[in-house]
Amino acid sequence: MNKYLVNSIYGIFAVIVIAAFAFKIFQPIQVLPRMQLAPAFNLTDQNDGTLTSEELRGKFVLYNFTYTNCPAPCYNLNATMQEVQSRLSEVELDNIEVAFVTISFDPDRDTASVLKNYANSLGSSTLQWDFVTTANKSLLKTIIGSGFETYYEDKGNGEFTFTPSFVLVDGWGIVRAEYRYQTSVPDTDRILRHLGVLADEVRNSTGTTKLAYEAAHLFLCYAP
Amino acid sequence: MKLKIAIASIVVFAGLAVGVYFFRPHTFHGTVIQSPSPSFNFKLNSANGEVSLSDYRGKLVLIYFGYTFCPDICPATLANVGQALRELGDDKASEIQTIMISLDPERDTPEKLAEYVNHFYPSFIGITGSNEQLAEVTSLYGIFYQKSEGPTAENYLIDHTATLLVIDREGYLKLVFPFGVTVDEIADDLKYMLRQ
Repeated sequence: MNKYLVNSIYGIFAVIVIAAFAFKIFQPIQVLPRMQLAPAFNLTDQNDGTLTSEELRGKFVLYNFTYTNCPAPCYNLNATMQEVQSRLSEVELDNIEVAFVTISFDPDRDTASVLKNYANSLGSSTLQWDFVTTANKSLLKTIIGSGFETYYEDKGNGEFTFTPSFVLVDGWGIVRAEYRYQTSVPDTDRILRHLGVLADEVRNSTGTTKLAYEAAHLFLCYAP
Repeated sequence: MKLKIAIASIVVFAGLAVGVYFFRPHTFHGTVIQSPSPSFNFKLNSANGEVSLSDYRGKLVLIYFGYTFCPDICPATLANVGQALRELGDDKASEIQTIMISLDPERDTPEKLAEYVNHFYPSFIGITGSNEQLAEVTSLYGIFYQKSEGPTAENYLIDHTATLLVIDREGYLKLVFPFGVTVDEIADDLKYMLRQ
């Protein structure tokens, strides 16, 4: 009988270990990492009103960072934003809204009216795409540079050096994905897929499926 | 033979159930963050001088943003943290530092803050700074706040994000508790983090 007991215990461990490996290898559930808290902000929008991080709670938000004088095509930043918007219907989002926010790091020239004209020139629906900045340059540096970890520098000749990036933030205000130009070309398919992964997680964030999603986080089953 | 197989199967399943129960990963009540870099190292003023996050490397640090005139949510959260620490006992509680950052430097002097936080738990620290310093630290900890009008000009309120943050021993943000987290939930997660 003792032999059976010992074998049983080995068996149990084997099953647990195999189950864990299978979960890691086959990744039945994929998630996006919870990277850090997105910075909080209160910025001026293209209508001279305000846009706060608090108003965006509950929505998925895709951020990018630029300035309106950026010589076209400016790393295709706007084209990517536009394409993601036009293809949103491909993603099963249920009722989760997706917001798009472009933060300008050139508040001297990018006043509300300039941002408004810029938005219009892109033919963007500002119902879901906001263009924002703040005259408080040190706070702007904190938000974009430290908060969103996106480098930019005023070259002094009317041009900026910057790292073209997109940042995806979930409804809890947590950064879930970063798309940096140097490391990964911002790929619309990838951004859309990630929005779908986030929506799946929200849909399944109750009861026992929540445990499976937490296991996916624990095992780092990250969506490519 | 059949009996042996039946017994073995029962043992395996019972063992599995026990194994899964004991080896299951801890389910956090707060949201786990896998920060790739340490949290912003603020430097603000307490009644006993400057306080930095890095002063507490090696301890778990709980950070709560609020203000002493806060009518309900701040005292409720701080009282829950105090109670959770009492449940953990002095030994474990001595490895945890709770810091309240006041968003109301106009009314909350460091001395007043020290007196306020002491009501909740003796080791709590209250700190604050200039509006510029607070704008920076709140933004980087994802805390939105703004003044809102109260009954009179001096009795203004401050609306603010009411999350409770837990920084691990190495200075990385690890957990975010939403407002409404209970004493037992805080104690359970902290107990687990202290074991790590």
